[in-house]
Formats: sequence, structure tokens, C-alpha cells
Amino acid sequence: MTTAVAPPLLEDTQLGPKAGGFYRHQNIWTGLGFGIFLGFIGWLVSHALLQGSNWGTDMVVTCTMVGWVLGFNIGMGTFNAPIRWMLGHDQTHEDELYAAGVGQGSSRYLKFCTDHKVVGTQYLILVLVLFGVGGTLAMMIRTQLITPHSSFLDPQTYNSVVTIHGMVMIIATIIMVSGPFANFIMPIMIGAKDMAFPRLNAMSFWVVVSAVPCLLSTFFLGGVNAGWTTYAPLSVQAPAAMDAFAITIIVFVVSVTIAGVNTIVTVVTMRAKGMTMGRLPIFTWGAVIGGALGLYAMPAFLAVMTMMITDRVTGTSFFVPEVGGSQWLYENIFWIMGHPEVYVILLPPVAAVLEIAGTFARKPVFGYKVAVAGFVAIASLSIMVWAHHMFTTGWAPNLAAPFMLTTELISIPTGIIFLCTIGTLWKGSIWTRLPMWFIYLFIWNFIIGGVTGIYLSDVPADQFFHGDMFVTAHFHYTLLGGAMIGATAAVCYWFPKISGRMLNERIGKVAFWMIAIGIQVTYFGQFWEGFQGMARRIAYYNPHYQAANDMSTAGAYLLMSGWLVFLYMLIHGWRRGKIAPANPWHAKTLEWKVPTPVPLENFLVDPVVTSDPYTYGEGVPDGQEVPEFAPAAEPELVPAGSGPPEPGDVGGAS
Amino acid sequence: MSFEEEVDEIEAETILGGAPFFSRPGGKIFIIWLVFTVIGVLIGVYAPHHLLPVLHSPEGGDVWATVVVFTVLAAPVAALVYAIAFYSLFAWRHRSNDPDEPPPDAEPQRGNGPITVIWLTVSTLLVVVLLFWGITVWSAQQVVHPNALQVNVTGQQWLWTYSYPGTGVETRTLELPVNRPVQFNVTSVDVTHGFWPAALGVQVDANPNVVTVIRTTPNTLGSFIVQCSQLCGLYHAFMNNNGDVVTTQQFDSWLQSNGATPTAAAAAAGVSSGGSTTAMGK
Repeated sequence: MTTAVAPPLLEDTQLGPKAGGFYRHQNIWTGLGFGIFLGFIGWLVSHALLQGSNWGTDMVVTCTMVGWVLGFNIGMGTFNAPIRWMLGHDQTHEDELYAAGVGQGSSRYLKFCTDHKVVGTQYLILVLVLFGVGGTLAMMIRTQLITPHSSFLDPQTYNSVVTIHGMVMIIATIIMVSGPFANFIMPIMIGAKDMAFPRLNAMSFWVVVSAVPCLLSTFFLGGVNAGWTTYAPLSVQAPAAMDAFAITIIVFVVSVTIAGVNTIVTVVTMRAKGMTMGRLPIFTWGAVIGGALGLYAMPAFLAVMTMMITDRVTGTSFFVPEVGGSQWLYENIFWIMGHPEVYVILLPPVAAVLEIAGTFARKPVFGYKVAVAGFVAIASLSIMVWAHHMFTTGWAPNLAAPFMLTTELISIPTGIIFLCTIGTLWKGSIWTRLPMWFIYLFIWNFIIGGVTGIYLSDVPADQFFHGDMFVTAHFHYTLLGGAMIGATAAVCYWFPKISGRMLNERIGKVAFWMIAIGIQVTYFGQFWEGFQGMARRIAYYNPHYQAANDMSTAGAYLLMSGWLVFLYMLIHGWRRGKIAPANPWHAKTLEWKVPTPVPLENFLVDPVVTSDPYTYGEGVPDGQEVPEFAPAAEPELVPAGSGPPEPGDVGGAS
Repeated sequence: MSFEEEVDEIEAETILGGAPFFSRPGGKIFIIWLVFTVIGVLIGVYAPHHLLPVLHSPEGGDVWATVVVFTVLAAPVAALVYAIAFYSLFAWRHRSNDPDEPPPDAEPQRGNGPITVIWLTVSTLLVVVLLFWGITVWSAQQVVHPNALQVNVTGQQWLWTYSYPGTGVETRTLELPVNRPVQFNVTSVDVTHGFWPAALGVQVDANPNVVTVIRTTPNTLGSFIVQCSQLCGLYHAFMNNNGDVVTTQQFDSWLQSNGATPTAAAAAAGVSSGGSTTAMGK
């Protein structure tokens, strides 16, 4: 390293007093203030003009929610740059640097910030908050079900809790990997300086943030009592909360679509020199294919919720059978979104699992191309399976066999993913750090989730199990036991890069065992309920099912305690963890070759890639190296949000 | 001798070619696989019988058989993944005093064409078997009996009403004669409900303005529960009632005690007007 070539760090740029323009005055507080203000205006105007009409309350709620979402994003600065362009100004370089967070310290995390690492961190916090909300609601459900006729929740509240638990968890799991890791890690992995559209990136985050209060407001608007699937016509008749729910979905789909386009364009156009598609880290493939599948699936959600709103607010009758609508139309559009969406959730964490398995087995990913082909096959098949959610609706019984075929075919590419995972572990040097423990838990759970899925794919067996707790247990094994545990492994794996500090693995092991055992007890309890024939989503049940329910509730408390220990580990690590070296896992992907904390625009000197990142044990030079960094910058590097390094800490880049 | 040394020695022996099959990694994984498979198969064969409720129809029997067959088919695959995962964790785990020190790189292996092909072939064959099973069972269930007992099922928030056409009987409990094919014509007057007599192994949604049809033949006397399987609003949890499978004579007299004329009751119950039982469904 020589000091002579050291370029100055971008984040040290001294900005003029007017850099950033409006951005200087905007943060989450102006967003909240403006959102509440515009929401209030929306309420005032619609209340004055429309309250007396047939669908008055629905119109008022819709206008208020739209006002809030627009106001919050205007207040945050989401639309600053486009508005300036419309007024004939352009953003100066200084404005862009300000928007990227230069000179704002940790307050940039509460602002509209275009730096992909800030957006990734913001997403991580949001995901943790959403899991906290969803987990609390889950505990309320399980507490209600301790006794057959509990008076803990009244039925309306129980139905609303079931609905919002489902939707919060769906939102959280869709963004749990594509938010934090596809934003923070993926651009560095491919040698990019940022996402292709940094402003859209920040927008995708703040738009989804503005959706969350809409979703939670449903509890104060009468509650959505129709389950997260909100089947028509029940949802058409539901309280005004349903309007807020539909607005939530529409806003969320906008965010996911923006994020998906951004991910795809970034990988297609922003790769470093030599980073061919065949040399992409496998996680990137998962993020891209998941994002692309989201672009197919999520617009159907937007469409169905728009139709729902027009049914409720303007009196159309897409889903009202009495006047010519069809509930099967709703169910079809919903599941055309709903099944691919499962794989939008699943593919990024599964790809992260392969990535992490390679690092901790010290082996190349087994069957890289086969795995990518498996992702593509899963994504393509998943758009043709939706009607297996409708086997018992009475719609098109003649299509049962074709949908049974497509559904069961998916198990072939899913099996390929298992082959690649255990192939990667085969004769590896298994390094059992915390992320690797969660990889093993992923394998354990995802097999159970997959095997129980084949019963449900079979129409005669589904005649029994549909709408039964067995289904609940099955998809919690895949989405919690599989996807979310894969995401947990990803959090443990990339935490040192994101926070600059190491996690305490001793606390992590405690959390791991509580989570691992908690999942088995909770969902085997629910399999038991399901075999006995207990319906889903019921607030009261036959005393015959009590033993199984109590088993499930006991497991759920253990599971939640495990997550709280895990959360404690994250907070502890973020505040007091050992300072992380740049590459604690000795991994070969590019994100570990840049210093921690990662400088603005990631690479001071552009990397040139000469091989894929899986050259473990092949005795060749690492093909994904980052040219030397400016040493002058190194001593100043400290973890995000921390004070100066303490004596004895291992600081800076290794 | 510690476990790692044992493993090292076994691997050395493997290279020398002198090791017996069961002390090689492949042999040990085979044993673990065999144990897991046997456990899985035993669970698959014995557990569903104890977990499922008493099933009152051939369709219910199909549910039980499907669970058994699929578990037995899936057990070896799941056991193989588990065996390799467990073996890797115990035998190839790197043990070191310094947890921050990564293990040496393993021997690289970027893929294995033959194994991938075998894996693909086996999983495709399994899917074909599953599909064959599913379609065979499903099409066997599609037989329409022209003389089946008609039961009109109407869902509303939050109860079920059963009516027996031709008899004028309308009740809140579902009475069915044993061994008589029955056709449920299901509809709803408000929102979507799910008509789910779980013990009969059939289920269909009750949709407003549409009649959906399911068929079964109860073959075991006893009572069962009908539940609503689609969240339908406030008191969804209470939308259930009992059903009974009774003998033909009991069904006949039950219909009459609920107001059916003897002729209509006999016709619905499949009893000839003379009062003697027909051979229907036996």
C-alpha cells in the first residue's frame, strides 16, 4: 500500500451550506408531519363532501390513507428530484452527495438517503420491527388458543389479529432478504458502486414504511375479519378497515415493483469488469430471479386490490355474486399473485443458504449452474400452480389433475436445490459458526415443509387437509422454518459487514436451540391438530383438540423467547460486539474485500474480476479481488454508529 | 481414540482400499439413512391411523392411504438428505481451539453430472408415482351414482342447513344412511363458506349464487363433525354441527319423525315402499 495513490474518501467531501436543497430540511419527522397533515386534509375534504353518500365511510378512509401516503413521501423528499426536474432544475453533484448522506452522520438513517447501504440497513431495522409486530400478534393467537373457549380475545379482534399477523408476516418475509441484503450486499458483490436507481431504491423503502401505519390502522377501523387472503364477498362487506388494508397492499406492491426492477437492472447493467453472469455469486441469482418473479406476481395483487376498492368505494361488482360478480374471479387473481409470491419470499434466502454453505464448508457451491437452472425452473413452474389453492372451491374440478401435475413437478427443482446444498456440505471442512448452524436448521425444517406439501398437492388428500391446521403448520415450516431461518443465517453471516461488529455466538447458540426446538414443538403441535381435523382461523375449538393446541402454544412461547434472545444478540452485537475484521469468514465474494464500514460508493478503485468467487481449495489466485485501498483512510475506519475503536480491538481492514 | 482420529483413520483406510464398507463414510451414511428411513416408514405406516379421526367413507380411507403411501415414498429421500447433513456435521466438522481461524479449504467439487442425473431421474420417477396415485384415486372418486341421495347444503353466517329434496325435511344436523351414495349440493346465501365434513374425506366451498357438488358414500356408522373451513366472519368458529351415519331404518324413521311422509321418507332412504331394505350400495 502506498499513500501516494490515495484518493480522498467521498464521504469526507465538504459540502456547501446549500447542498441538498430541500433534502436539508427533510427527515422522518417532516414526513410524519406532512403525512398526518395531508391525511387530515383528505379526511376533511372527503368527510365534508362524501360522508352522506352510499359508500361514505369507505371513501373517507380511502382518501385519508392516500393523503397520508402521498403526504409522508412528499415530506420525506421522495419526489424532490422529479419535481425539481419538472421545474427545470437539475440536481447538482453536491445535491446528490447530500442525498447520499454525506456529512449527516447517523441522522441519515432517518432521512431519504440514496446510499444503498443506508437503505439496506433501514430495511433491516424495518424487517425486525415488522417481525416484532407479527410475532406479537402470533403470540396473541396462540394465547387465545390455550383453552377451547378462551375469553382473551373477542372473535372480531381474533379474526383481525389473524388477518394482520398474516399480512405483516407476508410483507416482512417478502422484504426480509430482498430488502436488507439485495440492497446492502448485492451491489458490492457484483462490484457496483450503488444500485442502478439510487433514488428509486430509497423510494422503495420509504413507500413501504408509509404502508405500515395503513396496515396497523385497520385495528382502529373495525378490523379486517377475512384473513390475509381477504376472500370476497366477505371482504367486500368487511368494515372500513378493509379499505386501509387494500391501500396498504397497493402501496406495498408499488414498493416491491420498484425494488424488483432496481435489482434486475443493477445486476444486468452495473456488474464490474469481468463479472460475467456465470461468475455472479449465487445469492445474486436468487435475488434477481426472486425480483423478476415479483414483477410477475405482485401486479396481480395490485389489480385485485384495486378492484376490491372500486367494489367497496364506487359500487362496482367484480366480486359481488348477487349482481353478476364472481368470488372465483377474486380467488383466481389472488392466487395468481399468491403462489409465485411464496417463491418471491423463498428464492432469495435459499440462494443465501447456498452462498453461506459454500463459505462455511470451504468448498465451491456444488452444481452452481444446476442450482441457477433450479431457481429458474421453480420460478417458471410457480406461475402455473395457483389453482392448487382452489382444489376445494368447486371452481373447475376438471383442472384438478393438471394443477396436481404442475404442483408436484415443482418438487423436482426443489429437490435439485437440496442436492446442491448437501453436495456443498459433502466432504467439506464444516466450520460450525453461527450462520452454519442456521443452515442445518434450514435443511431440517425445509425437508419437513416440503414433504408435508406433497400431501396437500394431492387432490384426494387435500379434500381432508384444505382449510385445516395442517396447512398452517406446512406453510409455517416452509416460510418460517425454511425461508426465515435462511434469512436468519444471512443476518448472522452479513452482520459483521453491515454493523462492523461481530455477534456474540454464545448468546446466538442459546437463541438457536430455543428457535430450533420451538419451531418443532409449535408446528408438530399444529400437524397434530391438523390430523385431528381442526379448522384454521378459529377462535374457539372443540376440547378434543386441546392437548395439541397446548403443545403448539408452549412451543410458540419458546420460539418467541428464542427470537427475543436473538434480538438481544443483535442489539448487543451492534452496540458492544467485538470490532469485526473486513473479512471475518475468509469468504471470497467482493463484499468481504472492501473495508468495514464500507466507504461511500464501495470501491475507490474499480475491481476487475477474473473468476467466480468459489475457488476454495483449487489452488488458484482469488479471482475476485479489490485493488488496494487508500491507506490514508484506513485508520479512520470505525464501525457504523460507534465511537473510536477501543484498545485491543481488531480494527480496520485486514 | 477421538472421533476425528477415528474418521481420519477410516479415511486413510478408504484410500488404502482395505476398509470394509460399513466403516467408510458411504457405509456409515448408508446406516444412518437406513435408520432414518425405517423410522420414517414406521411413522408413516402407524401414525396416521392414530392421528386421523374415525373416517366414515371410502374417500376418508383414501386420505389415510395417501398419507401412508406418500410418507413411505418420501421417507428415503428425506432420510438421505438428513443422513448426509448429520454425517457432515459430525464427521467433517472442523474442530479448532481458535474459532476465528477458518478450516483449511476442502477438496473442491463443482458438481457431479452422474449424481445430478440420478437425482433428477429418481425424483422425476417419484413425482410420476405420486401423480399416478393421485389421478387414479381422484378419478375413482368421480363415479356418479344416478340414484344417490340428494342433500342440499346451505351455508349462511354462521350455520348450516340441510334439506332432503322430496321429503320437505330441513334440519341443522346432517343425517346420512349408511352405504347409500350421497350427493351434496352446496351453496351459500351470503359469503363463501367451506362445507367440510372431515370424516367423510370430502370438502367443497359453499359459494353464493353457485351450487357446488361433492359425492361420497358413508360406510361406517357413527357421528362426525361438520365444520366451516373458510373464514366467514365473526362467529366462524361456531359454524359447526354434528353429523351422523345411521342405518337405513333409522334414517327412514328419522325422516318421518321430522315430518316426511312415509312414501317420501322411504324413497329418500332407499327403502322400497314395502318397507324392506334394498340392496343399494351394499
